[in-house]
Amino acid sequence: MSDPRDNVQQEFLAEAQELVEALSRDLLLLDEAHHRNERIDPALINEIFRSVHTLKGIAGMFGYKHVGAVAHALEDLLDDLRLGRTLVGPQLLDVLFDSVERFQRLLALEDPQSPEEEPGVQAYIADIRSIGTEPEAEEGDPLDKYAIEPAVLSVLTEYEEHRLRACIREGLRLYRLRAAFDLTAIDDSIETLRDVASDDAEIITYLPSMEGGNEDTIELVVLLASRVPEEELKAHFEGRYGKIEAVQERTHLPTLPPRLTSIPSAAVSRGPQSEEDQSQASIRSVANSVRVDIRKLDHLMNVVGELALVRSAVDRIVDRFKGESTHRQSLMELDRIGRGFERQLSELRTGILDVRMVPLGQVFNKLARIVRQAAREHDKDVRLVVTGANTEVDKLIVEELTDPLMHLVRNAIDHGIEPADARTRVAKPPEGTLALNAYHKGSNVVIEVEDDGGGMNAHKLRETAVSRGLLSADISHELTRQEMLNLVFLPGLSTSSEITDLSGRGVGMDVVKTNILRLGGMISIASEQGIGTKITVTLPITLAIIRALIVTVASRTFALPITAVREAIPYVPEEVRTIQGREVITLRGETLAICDLADLFGFRGSSREEGRFVVVGSMGNRELGFVVDGLIGQEDVIIKALGKSLSSIRGFAGATDLGDQKVALVLDAPALFTEYFDGPDALRALETRL
Amino acid sequence: MSLTVQKATLAPHTDSETGAIAVLAVFAGDEAYGFPLSAVREILMPPPLTEVPRAPEHLLGVITVRGQIITLIDLPKMLHLEVEQHEPYGRVLLVDNGEELIGVAVDRVIQVYRMEPDQIEYASAMGTELSEYVVGVGRVPSDSSSGREDMLILIDPVSLLGA
Repeated sequence: MSDPRDNVQQEFLAEAQELVEALSRDLLLLDEAHHRNERIDPALINEIFRSVHTLKGIAGMFGYKHVGAVAHALEDLLDDLRLGRTLVGPQLLDVLFDSVERFQRLLALEDPQSPEEEPGVQAYIADIRSIGTEPEAEEGDPLDKYAIEPAVLSVLTEYEEHRLRACIREGLRLYRLRAAFDLTAIDDSIETLRDVASDDAEIITYLPSMEGGNEDTIELVVLLASRVPEEELKAHFEGRYGKIEAVQERTHLPTLPPRLTSIPSAAVSRGPQSEEDQSQASIRSVANSVRVDIRKLDHLMNVVGELALVRSAVDRIVDRFKGESTHRQSLMELDRIGRGFERQLSELRTGILDVRMVPLGQVFNKLARIVRQAAREHDKDVRLVVTGANTEVDKLIVEELTDPLMHLVRNAIDHGIEPADARTRVAKPPEGTLALNAYHKGSNVVIEVEDDGGGMNAHKLRETAVSRGLLSADISHELTRQEMLNLVFLPGLSTSSEITDLSGRGVGMDVVKTNILRLGGMISIASEQGIGTKITVTLPITLAIIRALIVTVASRTFALPITAVREAIPYVPEEVRTIQGREVITLRGETLAICDLADLFGFRGSSREEGRFVVVGSMGNRELGFVVDGLIGQEDVIIKALGKSLSSIRGFAGATDLGDQKVALVLDAPALFTEYFDGPDALRALETRL
Repeated sequence: MSLTVQKATLAPHTDSETGAIAVLAVFAGDEAYGFPLSAVREILMPPPLTEVPRAPEHLLGVITVRGQIITLIDLPKMLHLEVEQHEPYGRVLLVDNGEELIGVAVDRVIQVYRMEPDQIEYASAMGTELSEYVVGVGRVPSDSSSGREDMLILIDPVSLLGA
């Protein structure tokens, strides 16, 4: 496990994976811009080029021959693209999108040199090579329009020269900006300048000037192209940077910027002019983030947990000596220190949790690719609308979410959204809409997958369930519409049309549900025929640490996540009534279903003594009272997974160490809610039988 | 399960030169069992047990060992053996099944035997139903002085994964 070669390999794979993800993200932007006939940002193409270029480099180093070969061919194609030798078109986009899947597959190979892959890779490379569109013929060199001195032209890279020509051809005006930069932070400053400029102007190149600099600063002459009027540009840059002037059109002799003869050597090496230097600069500018193995964070979290136990042990000692007058001063001090320690500890815990958080955008980008691919395969027009991509959740959750969400998205396109002609017939816009929404709700994250397609046929689901023997015909007639829709989560129920390559991969909705439940989440369906379907997934933001209410049931200790608890009230047996076989009480005029945990867990001979409590839980818009024997108090607990063989048992999210070798099982509130409300007894029985 | 597969199960635990294997013999219920010593991480006094409602009968519950939550299993029950009287267990073995640590409740630990290949009879050769968890049977000299041999049911640690 600690073989350094393995570690290096892992590092490579992680980095390659990141590059491929970045590539995928950028390709989607490119596709979108092309789709809308917008001007394609050259910086974007450059970004794509760089990802592939870097991937080629590292693949070569680690012997990923096929990855290297594909990256190499793509690099050539992208180079042509950014130099304007070829243009963005559907065929080119297809080839580029294919590369993402292909890279991922090639990276997953046991043997990165595998000869079996050779033919496929070669065929793909031939595809790449076959692409080439003729750019329009040029009429006269646009560069002639401006009086740019040969000394400057001669140091432009091919790319910069291409951009310069392209900008002039598009009718942009050229400007020179003189600005002094701090030598030590020049890379960052230039990145900032790029950001500032990006909306108004494109930076073609920058060269060091001889004037204006001193020991700590260097003055750069930045060549900009812009269509913004000169005054506006001045207003934008001059306060912040320095003097900006228009480059003279070729009518009289230009004022030459200083030649590059006597520049201090430091400035030369720091002024990125070539391609190589540029990528160096970008590497440096991202170097303030690190990649960390999630297991290291888990370990830190365990250490924090142990520290919390140490802290409570100290607390207990303080408690023991309280009331004795001898060491009052010391005890008070110890108590104060203890509270300070607690504060720092919780800072540390929050800090670690924060590090584990990643934006859901990571998953959404993958899904966007699936949407595009699935829509093309099925020849459907689908518009993807994403909101809340910045919503952050625990890294572990993000990873576990990918598969279930992928399935939901494929389902929406495969079964939900109708073909364009069918949509037109029912007066819907021909283009279907698939929305991915994410937002925080309390300490949960809600993710919605919503389509405006044909909706689900509840009665058909019921018939299928009956015909497959999953449900008896008698029971089936008692089901509400919502219960019929929920049948889709039964294992073994897949409507015949579901066996397509799209939603295939052998994953059914039951697996989706199991995966979501395992994460401590809930999943629900709302669907109207003819209008669309919305699947809502509710998840905890983080899995590792939760605040819990510690309760006792039949002398056993359980932890109930506080997020699911609204309040706790005394249990009065006389107030319990029975409605449709379920026990309820009345709380502030509202009927509240209650559920005795001792019965639910089958603890026999639980003493129905006085002094019990009802813990009122709420999940979404549902409420349920859990009857417990005693309340111990609130505590921050670290949830640890149950071992493999116990993880499939419903109702428990994990276990937590309470210190003194005492373990409390953490109740899985969403699962208990689902079990209580969504599964009529008949269905529950079926589920266990299957 | 073929003979070679079962030999392979024990392979990581055998001495590469002689083919001998160190086996920890324990007593649980009415039988003696053997675990490859190299898969046993620790032998503990039983820590407090937290039972898990709804779990299958052979999963006794969970224990905590230095902050780690570990599933505790009952060996005879896992093998569906009828046990006449089951005394409260006296020791817990922490066994590495290759993926996680599993606690195995036993009555007592007997001793470590060094077993030569010819002392082991593989389960496939016996045609027993236990073969899911059992590699085979090992013959060791009895610890009583009667001179007859005792049988050890050799457990495959990896199979505890699906316990």
